[in-house]
Amino acid sequence: MKRNLFAVLSVFVLASLMLAACGGGGAQPAAITIEGLKEKDFAPVKYEAPNCDYGGEFKSMEAVDESTVRFTLCVPDPAFPSKIAFSAFAVQPKEYLEFTGATGAILEQPIGTGPYYVAQWERGNQLIFKRFDAYWGEKAKTPTLVFRWGSESAQRLLELQSGTVDGIDNPAPDDFAVIEADPNLQLKPRPALNIFYIGMNNTYPPFDNEKVRQAIAMGIDRQRIVDNFYPAGSEVASHFTPCAIPNGCVGESWYEFNPEAARALLAEAGFPDGFKTKLYYRDVVRGYLPQVSNVAQDIQAQLKANLNIDAEIEVQESGTFLDNADSGKLDGLHLLGWGADYPDQTNFLDYHFGAGASKQFGEKFPDIVENLAKAAQLASDEERRPYYEAANNAIKQHVPMIPVAHGGSGTAFKAAVEGAHASPLGNENFAVMSIPGQDTFVWMQNAEPISLFCADETDGESLRACEQVTQSLLGYQVAGTAVEPVLAESYEANADLTVWTFKLRPNVKFHNGFTLDAADVVESLVLQWDAAHPLHKGNTGAFSYWSGLFGAFLNAPAE
Amino acid sequence: MTQETSSVAVLDAEGISLKSVSLWNITLRRLRRRKSALIGLTILAILTFIALTAQWLAPYDPYTPLIGIEDVKAREAPCIHALGCPPSKPQHILGVDGNVRDQFSRLLYGARLSLMIGFSTVTFAIIIGTVLGALGGYLGGWIDNVIMRLMDVLLAFPSLLLAIAIVTVLGPGLINALLAIGIVSIPAYARVVRASVLSVREMDYVSASRALGGSMTQILFRRILPNALTPLIVQGTLGIATAILDAAALSFLGLGAQPPTPEWGSMLGAERNQVFTAPHLVFFPGIAIALTVLAFNLLGDGLRDALDPRLAHVS
Repeated sequence: MKRNLFAVLSVFVLASLMLAACGGGGAQPAAITIEGLKEKDFAPVKYEAPNCDYGGEFKSMEAVDESTVRFTLCVPDPAFPSKIAFSAFAVQPKEYLEFTGATGAILEQPIGTGPYYVAQWERGNQLIFKRFDAYWGEKAKTPTLVFRWGSESAQRLLELQSGTVDGIDNPAPDDFAVIEADPNLQLKPRPALNIFYIGMNNTYPPFDNEKVRQAIAMGIDRQRIVDNFYPAGSEVASHFTPCAIPNGCVGESWYEFNPEAARALLAEAGFPDGFKTKLYYRDVVRGYLPQVSNVAQDIQAQLKANLNIDAEIEVQESGTFLDNADSGKLDGLHLLGWGADYPDQTNFLDYHFGAGASKQFGEKFPDIVENLAKAAQLASDEERRPYYEAANNAIKQHVPMIPVAHGGSGTAFKAAVEGAHASPLGNENFAVMSIPGQDTFVWMQNAEPISLFCADETDGESLRACEQVTQSLLGYQVAGTAVEPVLAESYEANADLTVWTFKLRPNVKFHNGFTLDAADVVESLVLQWDAAHPLHKGNTGAFSYWSGLFGAFLNAPAE
Repeated sequence: MTQETSSVAVLDAEGISLKSVSLWNITLRRLRRRKSALIGLTILAILTFIALTAQWLAPYDPYTPLIGIEDVKAREAPCIHALGCPPSKPQHILGVDGNVRDQFSRLLYGARLSLMIGFSTVTFAIIIGTVLGALGGYLGGWIDNVIMRLMDVLLAFPSLLLAIAIVTVLGPGLINALLAIGIVSIPAYARVVRASVLSVREMDYVSASRALGGSMTQILFRRILPNALTPLIVQGTLGIATAILDAAALSFLGLGAQPPTPEWGSMLGAERNQVFTAPHLVFFPGIAIALTVLAFNLLGDGLRDALDPRLAHVS
């Protein structure tokens, strides 16, 4: 018995010693230690597509030497820096990607180079970040950053007012005035760099009839929607893309509201008495759609009053709704929107109507696709303009969707918060925010991140969390849209914009103490590009941003 | 035979039967002496009146947004001319909702829906529950065992949770919500009926009926069930309150009535985030739900007391 006790005691002592050794990370540069993960030496590596017929933008990607990455593109892409700066293309250590298989543990514990690292994710409750002391740039101002979430705007505001959180996302439009009147709070309006639209899928009747789509476009009073259900700073959409984006609103403006003409057109299309359909949406608040249910009901009432269309409302769970929309399963009208990821037309038009777009609107329109493809390869805004004009006019003619509004939204903070801002891209940077004398900063957003492996996420709530932790070659200015160097110190392109060479910043450390090199960059990107890559897994394996921005995957399985 | 048990002979001082008074008359008389039950009954009478005449009482159409029709803004506070609201403004005695519709009109139409929900789900549950409970109680044996274990399984789940599960499978919508609430309330009625049947079936008049060669359905539906009805009525009245509450909860969660249907629970749910900026939009549907549920509970309690022969001396 005595011996047993001794054995148990020694196990305890040993265990606590081991725990102390693992947990005592304060003195080491590594903030995160992954058991069994070893750093490998750099070896040059190159991945290349046999030819450009597979339909994607990349020809090759290459780690030339430890600090040089080179991408060769099949077609010129002037928006390449804007695209590659996006957080879906962030860099993680090659060894860690291989170690986790780019799925499983990496979904909850990313290893990046950012000012914060993920200390703990209590699913359903909160996400805790700690300051990364070996960060290459200016260190985060607050040692601990906490993300919380609540889908109810009243709850978020109440928490802010009672002081349990320091900043909130998307206050309700009615609460803007309340926040502005409160001396303890500050409101940061977010520029309306987004679009809310009513989508239609042209493979389902009666939406396969262009006249029906045009009639609905004319039969909806969009000004009334913006006036009644959107906060100040919102505007009726004249085009799909906001005017703040270069070439965003060139071409003809959208149809004027004209119920008589709309009814006549609908009758001409063979539906003089209207028809029955469904109106699908997800009940989540986004900057582009701050009052979902109210807007849906108003559209429903307008369809009935102006066109005698009976639209039955069907609310779907957020993830299900997005899946159904992308796979073209919504046979009625659907309400969805888009917020800018980077300030370029390709992010708006190509993602939705280009060659790589999903089946959300059904069959693609060749005249839109062609013009977008041509415009995307031209370098200057001036050269691209005629093609975007043509594309916008074609969108107006075909009406794959009805652009309704660019919604103003905002963030709200305690008045004492320094560095408070709202980013037009929705990627608020918390490393620059602080409250003097406070070592924890609590942020409350609409929803919990889905996963933290953002190569395979499209949800803004997930991307915002990733952006605190992982970084891409380039990035966006804090609270702005300008592209600036991050992991790459500098970059250059050849004359026809097909070969892009990035020079990496020296001595950048990952959160686990590994050093960034070119192979890490290439590995992080090739696993997205190559559908046959053993690490092409992620959360769902969709890697939607890659295909949305860079076209088809290499070795994509035949459909 | 029914006649003998459901009516009571009233004796005069000499002990000679003067006339037969039906149980219902006695119940009504007893009910009238209970203030709380009367309050419940009054509220219900008013609600029923509102439900039946909503289209004449409501000043506005509950579905039409007033945008462009009247000069009102979304979520405007109540405006009552008699209380000093300027006559230049249109009168909306309970204010205007988030879609610029008259809240008062929607509340009136909501009464119709809530009562419909309460009665239809409970009727559905009573019919199924009675059949199951009566069969189990009368036949006994393995049939009884199977039916009652099935009811136990249903009872093992919290009723609202089970209703949510059922609606999730069937898909959201008012009809599916009604079905779900109906299904989860079956066990309560089945058990009540079974217990009554068990106690009644051994009575002499049932044996007599059996001896006379009465068929099973005849004995069950003409001899036994009518005499097992009392507890069912009480349970049913109280059950309506629960059903209305459950339906409101499902609609609040977006699983019941779909917009733009003026259902109290969904009206409450739609404006829940405006609880501080437009409290009237949350307050009034809440009050309406509470009042209706209270009315059914008061009436149910009163009925239970009135129908209970053991409490006869109280009257």
